[in-house]
Amino acid sequence: MRKEKKIPEPNPLFLERMQEIFNSEKDYKEYLEILKHKPSKSIRCNTLKVSPEKLKKKLESYGWKLVQPWEEYPEVMVIDCELEPGELGRSLEHLLGYYYIQELASMLPIIALKPKENDVILDLCAAPGSKTTQAAAEAKNTGLIIANELSMGRIKILASNLERCGVTNTIITKKEGAALSKRFKKQNLKFDKILVDAPCSGEGTLRSKYKTHGMWNIKTIMSLPRIQKSLFLESFKILKVGGEIIYSTCTHAPEENESVVSAILNELGDRIKIEKIKIPVTTRKGLTKWKNDEYNKGVELACRVYPQDNDTDGFFLSKFTKLK
Amino acid sequence: MRPPEFKILNPKEKKEVENKLKLQFGIDHISGTVLQRGAERLFLFRGELDYNHIKEIEDNVPVERIGIYFAKHAHDSIRLSIEGVQALKDQITKNIIELNEEDSKTWMYGEEVQIETGKKCYVVIKHKDYFLGCGKASEKKISNFIPKSRRLRNKNIIK
Repeated sequence: MRKEKKIPEPNPLFLERMQEIFNSEKDYKEYLEILKHKPSKSIRCNTLKVSPEKLKKKLESYGWKLVQPWEEYPEVMVIDCELEPGELGRSLEHLLGYYYIQELASMLPIIALKPKENDVILDLCAAPGSKTTQAAAEAKNTGLIIANELSMGRIKILASNLERCGVTNTIITKKEGAALSKRFKKQNLKFDKILVDAPCSGEGTLRSKYKTHGMWNIKTIMSLPRIQKSLFLESFKILKVGGEIIYSTCTHAPEENESVVSAILNELGDRIKIEKIKIPVTTRKGLTKWKNDEYNKGVELACRVYPQDNDTDGFFLSKFTKLK
Repeated sequence: MRPPEFKILNPKEKKEVENKLKLQFGIDHISGTVLQRGAERLFLFRGELDYNHIKEIEDNVPVERIGIYFAKHAHDSIRLSIEGVQALKDQITKNIIELNEEDSKTWMYGEEVQIETGKKCYVVIKHKDYFLGCGKASEKKISNFIPKSRRLRNKNIIK
């Protein structure tokens, strides 16, 4: 059952852009409607510490109702009942690191990246650690994860989450992402898998974080792609040949999504291949045209995740393989 | 000011930590690399990266954390952190104090537990199949070291 809350009035320019992105009155209306509701609360069982079956049984003994929405991923659970404010984060199981509170859409990049045992992984913009802890669980705490973050305040949260979840295969570094990749290139440190979950304008999180409404700014959207592209291109240099890299954001803005992906595909040519992504939600194809720009046709393989399709936050994902 | 660098314990230093843990808790072996930061804090890293590569990364990039904080030197003993207890729980055979439901709530609330254990040493706290960290037993109580961020705020949550 979803509670309706009074939300701030969205910026008119934002709404105009969303209407243009959807290019469908039905989609746009459904989007506006779902914006009024918070997404369902969800958790990810930390399989480093406990099995999904055992955790579910324990949490159900508290009277909680849990649904496992994705058959292939039993560790993912949606809370299908009303909890007291903050109750999810105050249980003994949470304090012991048996689960991580994580929005469903935020789980998708690691599901798409498919970390496996002994992989060497770089999580370039890692805080607060939801995806790092997920990758560590997938890799069964083997191999190596470098979790990078620039902000010291956010590193503290990252470290605390990694510790709570018992993640022992990770090194936390503090450096601007592109500069970090340059250093690792000098060291000849290469990765099997890289996640570039880039800093973005956060339009997809409007349902979860109402404050995003007040922070929305077209100037931010115009200034971020340069940074996002640089993060990707520098980290691509330290990806092993045959290695895989995810570029994702939690925004709908094509400037930060398809425009970046198109520029990457055009610049890297035959050194890179964009991949089809298999994730357990309804997705839409990447846009090939926005305003006056036509994008590389490859962007169609990128995935747009819309809140009204899945009762999640909004997200954008693209996956690539390094060919040479 | 930057925090002190991580020092990777050499085999002899690691063995000294293991010997203490064997004596205190019956722990035979710590798999992975043990690192020390500052005078007391010990970290456990199980990633696949050898000594030289860790040093090379540290020389080139600010490293904030390697693995997890799992224990600290406390005089002649080793005090395990809550995560250290969980990481090594399968090997812990000695100095385990099993608390009842009421006392385990008190413990997770961050308070001393007023019970006589007959021990004067660090003990591992357990309730059912939950390992709840490490405390120091004295005459009539167990002192609590659960960090604030890992404490319960509502005693009614453990069932």
